Amino acid sequence: MADTWPLNVDAKSPNDPVFVGTGELPSGRYPDRNFIGDLTHVGLLALKDAQMVPRHVDTILLIPNLHSAVDQADLIFSRMAEELGLIGHLKSSFMVHSGGSTSDNAVRLASGLIASGHARTVLVLQCERWGSADLNEMVTMLSKYGIPNEWEMPTGLQFNAIGALITRRYMHATQSSPEAMASVCVTLRKWAQLNPNAMYYGKPLTVEKVLSSKMVAEPLHALECPMLADGAVAFVMTSAENAKKRGLETTVRVAGSGGCVSHYSIGQEPDLAKLGWATAAKRAYEQSGWGPKDAQIAQIYDTYAAVTAAAVEGLEFCEPGEGARWFQSGAADPGGTLPCNTNGGMLSAGHTGVGGGTALLVEGVRQLLWRAPSQRQVTGVQRCIVGGTGGSYMDAQVLLLERTSKGGK
Amino acid sequence: MSNPIRDGFRAGLAQGELLVQKCNDCGGLNMYPRHACPHCQSLSLGWQKASGRGILHSYTVLRQGAPQGFEGDLPYALGVVKLQEGVQLLGRLIPDPDGNWDSYKCDDTVEFTPVSAESIERRPCASFKRINP
Repeated sequence: MADTWPLNVDAKSPNDPVFVGTGELPSGRYPDRNFIGDLTHVGLLALKDAQMVPRHVDTILLIPNLHSAVDQADLIFSRMAEELGLIGHLKSSFMVHSGGSTSDNAVRLASGLIASGHARTVLVLQCERWGSADLNEMVTMLSKYGIPNEWEMPTGLQFNAIGALITRRYMHATQSSPEAMASVCVTLRKWAQLNPNAMYYGKPLTVEKVLSSKMVAEPLHALECPMLADGAVAFVMTSAENAKKRGLETTVRVAGSGGCVSHYSIGQEPDLAKLGWATAAKRAYEQSGWGPKDAQIAQIYDTYAAVTAAAVEGLEFCEPGEGARWFQSGAADPGGTLPCNTNGGMLSAGHTGVGGGTALLVEGVRQLLWRAPSQRQVTGVQRCIVGGTGGSYMDAQVLLLERTSKGGK
Repeated sequence: MSNPIRDGFRAGLAQGELLVQKCNDCGGLNMYPRHACPHCQSLSLGWQKASGRGILHSYTVLRQGAPQGFEGDLPYALGVVKLQEGVQLLGRLIPDPDGNWDSYKCDDTVEFTPVSAESIERRPCASFKRINP
């Protein structure tokens, strides 16, 4: 297998794929919203942000939902052509799926289509209705997806137990205290207080509160587990040449990416305290020439504190074994040395299924476009590291994003 | 749906044995069992009885939020076990005599423990028990 994947485009290439706009609806419980309505509205928000209308789009990529098998299998991406008035105009519409890392792979796919000329402008759409779905049904559904039915389903495994297996090993291997683990949740909650779209906006959290919540899947307490939420995000990618032609001075390009699929079944992961992060990071840094010190912010998949702590170690934001204590030091907090998950992440903005990682990605792009609300916009940010993972944390995906202009809006 | 590797593994469990798939060509061990040998792609695959001993890589005790059909099992413990043979799997952990799992720690030595055929019929998975060092 190849060890390096040199990019075929650079910042000067006319066909360099760039982000030009993002859209987002608030995350939480919104029983008065609906799936198709949210997809439509969030798509229009992203296009407006990109100073575009639907007719500028030739390809729609849909990020799948997990709230309903019917909505998943219903070829919704083509329905969006109808809803957005693109019948006969749209060239291609389809769904991409790698669980929580879908957004990272959707960026790779859209980039490839744009760089090769198969697409000019790609609209990526996501909506999840978990927050308004029946909780017991969702728990059962989550014991079937990403778990081998022959080998692991008979044990009674479910998603919090998967998070707990990673957390237990992480705490054992790194000797991280329960307080250090809970501090990751508290950092995320601090960011959520700056995001009116977050599920837990206006609801501060302390380490004591986390550790006094009931035990769900040892060693995880209830407040260390993500809350299922409704949510929708979208983004628009096009070529650098097309962005320029449309007068869009500020864009965000993909400087590199790296990935590592380390298992499918949680019982097959060689090291639950590490997962695939170090390999994914090495591949991304090699492709881009970046190092861990080259970004000013990071947006890392965060359904459970240990997943994120393992990620920041693999990405070399801190010494091996120090991930949770790095969060505890305040490094990732508002005003910290490397602000992380500036929308509040999945643990505090809400777990919108496959969309949770997409929301983090969109937050990274929004920050790089300098379009985050002023209370959480990181001043002068030029580069962002995005980390995603899907299924039972089967893969680690890293995207390295950079703003294409130094100043101005 | 016919699935000989699943059925072969479960037949072993029902007889009180933990079986690991063994490739008849390269001798490689596969866990979970595969439809072709991932080492040499051979389709000639058999079974080897495992020693049953392994190291507990990680574990959890689920106290709430069981999937449908598992509610009556709560609380129950799950662990990832790295067998001496160099392969690994997820299984259930047998509680201490007091019904809890307080004696368990990561990296403990655990041993495959047969359970009744009725239990395997209901929950076709391996169970492990901590053994005193």
